[in-house]
Amino acid sequence: MRRYLLARLAQTVLVVFLSLTAVFGMVRLTGDPVLLFMPMDIQAKDVEEFRERLGFNDPLAVQYTRFLAAAVRGDFGDSLRYRRDAFGLVLERLPATLLLAGAALGLTLVVAVPLGVLSAVRRDTAFDHVGTVVTVLGQATPGFWLGLMLIYVFAVQLRWLPTGGMGTAAHVVMPAVVLAAFYSARVARLTRSAVLDTLGEDYVLTARAKGLAETRVIGKHTLRNSAIPIVTLAGLEAGQLLGGAVVTETIFAWPGLGRLTVQALLNRDFPVVMAAVSFTSIVYTLMNLLVDVAYGWLDPRVRKT
Amino acid sequence: MKAWLGLSVTLIIVVAAAGAPWIAAHDPLLADFAAGLKPPGTPGHPLGTDQLGRDLLARVLYGARLALFIGACTVIVTGIVGGLLGLLAGFVERWPSAVVMRIADVQLSFPFILLALTINAIVGLGLRNIILSLSAAGWVVYARVVRGEVLSVKQRDYVHAAAALGVGRARLLFRHVLPNVAPSIVVVASLQFSQFVVAEAAISFLGFGVQPPTPAWGSMLSESRDFLYVAWWLAAFPGLALALTALGVNLLGDWLRDTFDPKLRV
Amino acid sequence: MRALELLVVAVALVSVAAAPVLAQDRSRTKEIVVGLGAEPRTMLGVTIVDWTTNNMLEHIYDRLLDRDAKTFKPKPMLATEWKIVNDTTWEFKLRKGVKFHNGEPFTAASVKATIEYALDPANKTHFTANAYWGPIKEVQIVDDHTVRFVTKQPWPNLVDSAASTNSLIMPAKALKELGPAKFAEKPIGTGPFKFVEWRRDERLVLERNPDYWLGAADASRVTFRFIPEFSARMAALLSGEIDVMKDVPPHAVEAVERSGRAKLRSTVSSRINYLALVNLKPGPMQDVRVRRALNHAIDVEELIKQVLKGRATRMCGPLAPTNVDYAPVECLKHDPARAQALFKEAGIDPKALALTLDTPSGRYPLDKDVSLAIAAQLQRLGIKTNVVVNEWGTHLDKIKNRNTGDMFFLGWGPALHGQGTMPPLFLADQTYSSYGNNKMLDEKIARAGTLLDPKARAEAYAELQRLVQAEAPWVFLWQQHDLYGVTQSVEWTPRADEKMWMYDAKIVAR
Repeated sequence: MRRYLLARLAQTVLVVFLSLTAVFGMVRLTGDPVLLFMPMDIQAKDVEEFRERLGFNDPLAVQYTRFLAAAVRGDFGDSLRYRRDAFGLVLERLPATLLLAGAALGLTLVVAVPLGVLSAVRRDTAFDHVGTVVTVLGQATPGFWLGLMLIYVFAVQLRWLPTGGMGTAAHVVMPAVVLAAFYSARVARLTRSAVLDTLGEDYVLTARAKGLAETRVIGKHTLRNSAIPIVTLAGLEAGQLLGGAVVTETIFAWPGLGRLTVQALLNRDFPVVMAAVSFTSIVYTLMNLLVDVAYGWLDPRVRKT
Repeated sequence: MKAWLGLSVTLIIVVAAAGAPWIAAHDPLLADFAAGLKPPGTPGHPLGTDQLGRDLLARVLYGARLALFIGACTVIVTGIVGGLLGLLAGFVERWPSAVVMRIADVQLSFPFILLALTINAIVGLGLRNIILSLSAAGWVVYARVVRGEVLSVKQRDYVHAAAALGVGRARLLFRHVLPNVAPSIVVVASLQFSQFVVAEAAISFLGFGVQPPTPAWGSMLSESRDFLYVAWWLAAFPGLALALTALGVNLLGDWLRDTFDPKLRV
Repeated sequence: MRALELLVVAVALVSVAAAPVLAQDRSRTKEIVVGLGAEPRTMLGVTIVDWTTNNMLEHIYDRLLDRDAKTFKPKPMLATEWKIVNDTTWEFKLRKGVKFHNGEPFTAASVKATIEYALDPANKTHFTANAYWGPIKEVQIVDDHTVRFVTKQPWPNLVDSAASTNSLIMPAKALKELGPAKFAEKPIGTGPFKFVEWRRDERLVLERNPDYWLGAADASRVTFRFIPEFSARMAALLSGEIDVMKDVPPHAVEAVERSGRAKLRSTVSSRINYLALVNLKPGPMQDVRVRRALNHAIDVEELIKQVLKGRATRMCGPLAPTNVDYAPVECLKHDPARAQALFKEAGIDPKALALTLDTPSGRYPLDKDVSLAIAAQLQRLGIKTNVVVNEWGTHLDKIKNRNTGDMFFLGWGPALHGQGTMPPLFLADQTYSSYGNNKMLDEKIARAGTLLDPKARAEAYAELQRLVQAEAPWVFLWQQHDLYGVTQSVEWTPRADEKMWMYDAKIVAR
């Protein structure tokens, strides 16, 4: 186990390093960094002067080493657009993103897992079929479409919920629902197939033969063993939710990390892009690591390998 | 039950797409400024028109073609790339496996839009951008699944037997392992298909959609945002078409999986 | 099931209790909420040139001079008089009795400190550029209420800079004691509103300054909410969550008016849209006859009527009436026959012509749709136009690198004076120019910029506009109409220079 952990940790560091390098290169490919944050009536030579001052005229290798050396210390420079510490900007957005991600994840688990379990137990009944259709529709509906529909119905027409922004519990409801709708589909289907698998196993037959109540069979025996793939998926989703809620954050004006990253990309604000991507990359790979470790803990068979 | 529903819905979509030129009365690219934003039921425009006066029914039908095209292309590209990498990772194991998995991690850990933007810088906006971006994001699932499948197939008796008999590695891979992994590739493909069609909408939302005036459901949906309060039909019908396609293909994929390999976890 | 019912009730109660303060309540407390698509980039004046940022900063700081809402000529604000002392010196007399929000008095020292902050390379502001405060050599304090600007060369447009957001004045003492970074956390100005809080990417909250020198504002509190998605902003307006929103698209006007909750307020903007015909690369656009032919081929009136629903004002030359240097020129009318004749003269068969049009999407009102409509119009003559839609950053990159097709769509504004419009757009070495290498025009443009005498200036610019019209470097399109959605309880009139000043807003309780 220890050796496995150490190996994975080393790999994690490698992955993060590769991500940073990849992002550095890709972001440079996307275009001129200085042009977009200058006003349009600025002279060409002034643009050049700014570019020189900010170090963008230096050879790429120099820029890269400078970037790495600073990044290791957590210094990604100042945002070109906001003139503030780029990493500070990222950290500022974190609580909002965590809140939304947590709410969405919680909602997903609360809705999708029971749905999946019930679908498995009542396999091939009307419930199962309807459940499948609903979950597929959840995945098939583009997030922005669902979000805008919800806003129209609940905010404009019924006035029950605010159209967006952050502030009260009511503000989290619709964005969390939109995010959860998509992920619930996956989690529900996965839960269903995972439970179906374990339901066919011998130990379940034995439990039933022993006369255990059905709920106990499902709850104690089945779920525990189905937990692995569910946990895996939940862990990966959590990592994705951090940076992947862009569309939802934009529609609902939620001041999160996803939106910051996308705006920085579209504005060619390199320091912020690097800071944000580095951060999400590290978190994602750590989550991956955690999931693998949890895997080992949950399934003794894996521990041996 | 699921199979029938899936099959029939998918067939309807395919037929509609194929028959678009005959079913649609108008050219989907023809702009008629005077007839902009007409509601459904207007004579000659059963589903209404968009802001430039183009017939919505025609655009939805031709959009089906593009949706199927995007789905098919992406599935093929990701299937081949991801499949090969997964085969390699699963069959050879050791360092190729670690390398492929780590590359997958690297790619998954940074935002999808960065991929789209970089590709945009190289090939510009448009169909190529979409297919490349989606492929870049989508190969990972294949690689993971195929790797898992290969790992499990490798343990099977007949593979051990063949190896014991002295069958060469390459032959082992392509004649014994691959045919058994193939069904899972097909299943993943069908499930991913609908994902890609929906993902086109997300890409369009971010601004990297199909070039106008080509009709694509995703970019039509994205444009409809601006007209939400004046022309609901611009969002409703493409959205409906998208949902139905995803439903049909997904159910079909589900049935495929239930038939071939119920244990497959995607 | 009981639990479920209780949960539903609880959620409902929480939602109601936490419901956003609605428009009716806000009109009683005289609060205004403005919905914007982007947040400010800084809280410091004279740092970043960005319309959104400076529009909000104008509530906290004041300019040296304002612009008259109708004539757009400079008028007194923090400065009461101005005159040219000699070729390189301007003198401004400052208003007496004005105080900053922290009590510090406004004097010439404040002006000097602000300009010096802008020009200090350590602060990395945009304003060191020649288009902004670059030409300043030094700022002299003559006395507490008189200040002189000494420039490196004659700068007749200094007064225009002083009459814009380029001159938002900050307090000398506070800026010095706190340093820019700390000052930015709680900015202090002389403006009609005081800073309360800035929750990043969410909202900026300001409250009324009761001691404002022009008299206290009607609004007690102004909140700017940042809602990036246009339809969510519309939803917020229609649901009463925000009171003012900019850029209502032409086709949504009806929805706004029908809502009963908000009404449309529009104005002709100083911002212009045009179709640049690029002559900087070899191609058909280098022939002036082809360019004129395109002007005659495209039916601008139809574009305005059908695509923009009448919400644009046609332009026939490079400058619009809201530009102080405007002079009327003759229109190149829609005349397909004339277009055909010109093509023939130039030896080009329109049916064989294939052009490329680069356009952004969503940056200007219906920019993409207008470009597609233009392509459709050209198709009537047989010309094939390939419309390439670019992401905004890519669009600018392409223009700068001269990598666009034969034509590109762009906007420019606020275009309030000739010096800010003609050199950047018609000189070959300028970043966003599409036209150049015409020696005669180059010289005349350079000369016009140095003329201090208003009559000579007017003549020079009138001549320039005639010449440019004849050269047809663009298909001259229109001035945008700025369409604002304003809630029923707020009385506010938009301005053509895009200044969105909530000081002017009156709240009427309904």
